[in-house]
Amino acid sequence: MKYLDLAMNAAETLGAEYADIRIQKTTDQVIYLQNLSLKHTSDNTMQGYGIRVFKDGAWGFAHSNVFSDEAVLATVKKAFDIATLSAAVNKDKKLRLAPERSYLSTYKTPVKIDPFSVPVSEKIDLMMEVSRTMLAYEGIKRTIFLLMMHKDEKLFASTLGTRLDLTTQFINPMITAVAVTESDSQSRTFDEGGRATGWEWILELDLIDKAKQIAEEALMKVKAETLGPEERRSLVLDPNHLGLTMHESVGHATELDRVLGWEADYAGVSFATPEKLNNYHYGSELINFVGDNTLEGGLATLGFDDDGVPSQKWYIIKDGILKEYGSTRDTALEIGLNASRGCNRATYYFNQPINRIPNLYLLPGTKPLTPGELIADTEDGVYIQGRGSYSIDHHRINFQFGGDFFWEIKNGKLIRPLKKVIYKSCNPEFWNSCDAICDKRFWRPFGVVNCGKGQPPQTGRMTHGSSTARFRNIRVGGSQ
Amino acid sequence: MNSDKIVQYIQKHCIADDWTLNITKDDSHETRFAQNVITQHIAGAMKEISLSVAFGSKVGSCTVNQDDDESLAYIIKTAEEIAKLAPEDPEFVPSTGKMNIPEIANCDPQTKSLEPKQLVDIVQNSINRAKTYGATVSGLTEKHIETNGLFTKNGFAGEYEKSDFGHSLTLKKDEVETKVAYEAKEYAAFNLETLLEKLFTQAATLAVKQTFEPQKIAVLLRPLALQELFWFMGWMMDRRYADEGITPFTDQIGKPFFGEKFSWFSTCKQPTLLAPPFTSDGIIAEEIPWVEKGILKNLSTSRYWAKKMGSKPSVNYNMFIPGEGYSEEEMLTMVPRGLIINSFWYIRSVDVKAGEFTGTTRNGVWYFEDGKIKYAINNLRFNEIPQEATKRIIATGSSELANPISLLPAMLIDNFNFVDKTSF
Repeated sequence: MKYLDLAMNAAETLGAEYADIRIQKTTDQVIYLQNLSLKHTSDNTMQGYGIRVFKDGAWGFAHSNVFSDEAVLATVKKAFDIATLSAAVNKDKKLRLAPERSYLSTYKTPVKIDPFSVPVSEKIDLMMEVSRTMLAYEGIKRTIFLLMMHKDEKLFASTLGTRLDLTTQFINPMITAVAVTESDSQSRTFDEGGRATGWEWILELDLIDKAKQIAEEALMKVKAETLGPEERRSLVLDPNHLGLTMHESVGHATELDRVLGWEADYAGVSFATPEKLNNYHYGSELINFVGDNTLEGGLATLGFDDDGVPSQKWYIIKDGILKEYGSTRDTALEIGLNASRGCNRATYYFNQPINRIPNLYLLPGTKPLTPGELIADTEDGVYIQGRGSYSIDHHRINFQFGGDFFWEIKNGKLIRPLKKVIYKSCNPEFWNSCDAICDKRFWRPFGVVNCGKGQPPQTGRMTHGSSTARFRNIRVGGSQ
Repeated sequence: MNSDKIVQYIQKHCIADDWTLNITKDDSHETRFAQNVITQHIAGAMKEISLSVAFGSKVGSCTVNQDDDESLAYIIKTAEEIAKLAPEDPEFVPSTGKMNIPEIANCDPQTKSLEPKQLVDIVQNSINRAKTYGATVSGLTEKHIETNGLFTKNGFAGEYEKSDFGHSLTLKKDEVETKVAYEAKEYAAFNLETLLEKLFTQAATLAVKQTFEPQKIAVLLRPLALQELFWFMGWMMDRRYADEGITPFTDQIGKPFFGEKFSWFSTCKQPTLLAPPFTSDGIIAEEIPWVEKGILKNLSTSRYWAKKMGSKPSVNYNMFIPGEGYSEEEMLTMVPRGLIINSFWYIRSVDVKAGEFTGTTRNGVWYFEDGKIKYAINNLRFNEIPQEATKRIIATGSSELANPISLLPAMLIDNFNFVDKTSF
């Protein structure tokens, strides 16, 4: 596209040390069904471009949705001017960009059936059938089916000479049943998070069967007992629960911008500071976290990040020891890294990219172990599935999590369903308490599509994953 | 293309039985700084055009951010195609008709005229002062001018402009972290020196901390902390959710569900408060008591639920909590001991039916005893039910602007339930 060269030439002529342009078209289709009322069925398209100029150790970022030579040149000038204003403030401490080479490349999310090509009527028919299935259960008063389809088409150019053509997409079905009695209401949700794939995933999921399961479990949950006072117990955590726990307590804690204090005003900082690299026991020896933006189906598998840095795979925690962070070109040099790990991502064209969690997952255990065997080996504990209440402090140390469905474990057996269970723990206690992880046969991904961060706020996406794992001696009890 | 031309295009070409058109424009400038360095600097204008159409009760929508004829033709075609494929919506409500829209001064000319250089100067001056103090500051300096328009086939036509200026400062010096912020529709009341003095005063009192164990204890919630806690509860204050038995508000309208010292209004009559005159589906801003002297008076009601229940639609568009006017110093003498809470962080629902929330303190917690602040303490986690907490209100201060849509006092509440502590 001619605007790529036009913008980069203009930025260089003005005196930019580095500049890039990201022309981005984002298409969303969102269908929201509440009971049998279609509350929202919408196709949304946002297209425009964002131009970053780096000059004298400072950024300027300007965006526009007007596609003309004049508008592009005016946007470059605006970015350059505000970079100049920023540079005057940064004269004592300049930002620096990690070196990177140029790339000419394309990337496309592998998709067999493009969700946008599936007729809306087919999607709605499926959703209505799922909702009717749940509403057929007496006691289910409210059902929700949210189906999101998202596609980003990006053209990226930088003054390094990089030219990228990237098309990435994901799909995310989420189904909730709410059971109500005279004294309580409880929900149960089918939520695997989003996945970077096509409609074929929806066809593989037996959503009618899932609907029956969550409706029945919502009814079971609303009638379930509470756990009682807080005690130290074992926790057996399902992958679609652990996804959020690792997101909050490892993912955000190992974003290098937080570590550097760049999010101090809003999203917070991190306890996992650079002097802890290569010596801090973040977890037990079983704990291996990998940053992997090459993961098949991963929501952060995008080919390249918005710095023009290719996707990579690296250890963040190895054998329990903190090894590295997720980094960007403007954070990497701050702690002496040679290059960025490619974690700079923006949500829409009008967002300046920020340091994001990569696809981050817990490697499975190396010895054969099934979830059934793990539960059979647990004397007193709680098995938690799905995500519920979650809250963590702004240093990413102390946290409290709920869940979506709970079973009490006694003497190796699931003896009764529970509700309103919460657990409290902190870093590094929690990950050091892990004493068993099921093997790779039970590893499952969990996609997060709504990771809020930044000012102005952006919604990021990434995939986590794990096998079912056990954590010993955690404070677990009923709420209040 | 201006809004009138977009509306004319839709009127001329949309063949649906009904339509609702939302046009949003935003012109913004945001400077982010951290550790005394500008890390992000963003400027640009945006536009969003959303069209929702109906054939009978079959509804479809489309949104674009381009306003040329081709794009407008696309949203009409797409929304109409989706609507034709959609099933009948049993909860369909026709678009709002012509309404009297209240005139509210939501846009401040001085805020609108702020130039990028002025905003950067504020950042520069803040960093300079922080350096002199031997500290770093991080924050956001921002200006937004947003226009919202709503137009319907049934005759609603309204557009309003609002302004927003904000400057936040998080200070870090050794182990001390604390924050102050100004955010309002009006730039005129902003005073950087006042804000910095408040920041440095807070920081000085946080230099030495003592470990404090979680417990039930009296708290003086400063206005921002109160806003953060009750705004989350406000999200649950929905009439339909209550009527369906999902939230704690079921069958509570007209009853003393809150403490008698607690009232909450949405109002267009407080000049410093931002008050959008209508919502995106045409609910007009009116004076609404949500809670009055402890009695639950109203819950937010959608247009569909209002029609079904024979009531009036309403929406919680801002938060005005009147106070008794006690000073912070006076309130500290009203209990033997307690904690001052500056703000909260990461508040989330724990139990929807009970209305229970969790979260942690942030940006400063101080222990007081015998009417005096004794020392700063570590941060704490709470699990608390806000409506129950209002029954333990001992006294309230004078209403202050916590953010553009929240005017509320500090509040002294007994036996606030802290359940865990942090290491910092």
